[in-house]
Amino acid sequence: MLAAYVQYWKINLLTMLEYRADFFMWFAFTIVYHGTALAALAVTMLRFPSMNGWSLREMFFLYALWMTAHELHNALFFNVTYVPEYIREGRFDRFFVRPFDTLFQVLTVPSRTFPDGFILGLVTLAIATHVAGIHVTPLTVLTIAAVLCGGAGIDLGISLFVAALSFWLIRVDTLRWIVMSLEQDFTRYPISIYTRGVRIVLAYVLPFAFMNYFPASYFLGKHDAAFGLSPEVGLLTPLIGLLWTAFSYAFWNIGLRHYQGTGS
Amino acid sequence: MPLIVTRDLRKVFRSAKRSPGALGALRGLFSPVYEDRVAVAGLSMEIERGEFIGYIGPNGAGKSTTIKMLTGILVPSGGEIEVAGIVPHRKRRENARNIGVVFGQRTQLYWDLPLVDSFELLRAIYGIPQDRYRRSLDAFVELLEMGDFLRTPVRQLSLGQRMRGDFAAAMLHEPPILYLDEPTIGLDVVAKEAIRTFVARVNREQGTTIVLTTHDLADVERLCRRIVLIDHGRAIFDGPIERIKNEYGRERTLVVRFTETTSAPAIPGARLESLEGLTARFVFDRATQRVDRLVREVSDRYSVEDIAIEEPELEGIIRHIYTQGYAGEERSA
Repeated sequence: MLAAYVQYWKINLLTMLEYRADFFMWFAFTIVYHGTALAALAVTMLRFPSMNGWSLREMFFLYALWMTAHELHNALFFNVTYVPEYIREGRFDRFFVRPFDTLFQVLTVPSRTFPDGFILGLVTLAIATHVAGIHVTPLTVLTIAAVLCGGAGIDLGISLFVAALSFWLIRVDTLRWIVMSLEQDFTRYPISIYTRGVRIVLAYVLPFAFMNYFPASYFLGKHDAAFGLSPEVGLLTPLIGLLWTAFSYAFWNIGLRHYQGTGS
Repeated sequence: MPLIVTRDLRKVFRSAKRSPGALGALRGLFSPVYEDRVAVAGLSMEIERGEFIGYIGPNGAGKSTTIKMLTGILVPSGGEIEVAGIVPHRKRRENARNIGVVFGQRTQLYWDLPLVDSFELLRAIYGIPQDRYRRSLDAFVELLEMGDFLRTPVRQLSLGQRMRGDFAAAMLHEPPILYLDEPTIGLDVVAKEAIRTFVARVNREQGTTIVLTTHDLADVERLCRRIVLIDHGRAIFDGPIERIKNEYGRERTLVVRFTETTSAPAIPGARLESLEGLTARFVFDRATQRVDRLVREVSDRYSVEDIAIEEPELEGIIRHIYTQGYAGEERSA
């Protein structure tokens, strides 16, 4: 299994070198995408020096934390997004006739992925940590790493859940789109600025708040103004990522039994 | 013990029935009405090690569905299934090690990668030792003449080239069982012949058990000793090709070319099937009529330029069975 995974990355790297123009275009797009989001944040914060007690520097860290976790998910698990397409077009069949777990095979379809966004995220996060004035110890580094993994796990869990739904419903694009916009729009600001309903969704239903809001509060030593929880709640992120992934994986396995394939 | 066994195998597809209109769609959302479609309706068969089976039937007869249950893609709705002692959908991964699959309609290769990269990935997936991998790959490259396009991205290959790649991909791990689902569909004669020669050789030399579904009965006639004919999800014939030919092939056609225009020619004991220009076709039963008598009769009565006797082809027999039903002993099955 490890050999197959190594081979997968080798092929990714080779294809990236082969399609260099495409790669640089994507990389430029990633920079522009996150750059625009950060610029918008800066413009907003010029008008309001503080948002529910969060300064621009702190919000920069908030964003960088989400961005890095999300890009980690994109680098490792992005193929999950293609599952509905595989199923609809009958290309999912092949995963059943090979001696590996179907999800593992989905994740290792050569797809020209390269962890460029994640590397960009790490750099941004390092700068943001410095700018936010967080005192960095080896323990902080480990905690941040755990939070990033947990954040990527939350992303994976949610996208896997949507993908598994497509074993029953052939079209899940709308749902995927809704979840994606929710994530993008509501991870930019501290969730305490939203109404109670939105806060509950972001903390308990689709726990994007655990990708950045709660852990950022922990690292910045801020009291949670959304629910009045203690900052240590932010340390639950790895656990929540694990739970969501495990739950969605179980759901995925039920879906496999329902797989009906396409016509011929 | 047979390698592949199915007993009363069934598969029913259930899908939500859509009522027309927005209101209907809304109703379907809350109280869905389901529609069952029986694809395989109690299929029992046994396949021995080393056999080469032609699994044939009209569109929608349940061929692909059967293959998908044998490969572990679909979970049966009922009945039993065992492939090399394994229930495919329960131990999918173990089953996958024993089988190779070629779907003619869908490639298993990676679109953007050169053929050889797909092979490398498969080597890693199946954990094939490097020396064995090299040996098989070299053999396939030679047999399937893939040397010229091994480094070409799959999307740039012709259908024939891609199919050859697909065959090699399915065989790299040397599986004892090979499922071929419409492997020659859309191929030209040369590519078809290359593939037939290849699978015949694999079956003969490696003893690979092969199940072939196809619409091209020339494939079956050339490759298979036994056929399983299915219709409406049931096996209506299972046996050697000779038997189906003997049972249905009792009819022969006497083709007569006259030297001059002949209206309504007739021979006792034979039925005039068609008359086109100077050529008449008479159908007779080989068991009750003697050929020499018919030939004598026709040359006595008319001025004949040429006479030929045609045996029925498998295609004609199968067509006859699809339209008329099978009248053999296994009708009750």
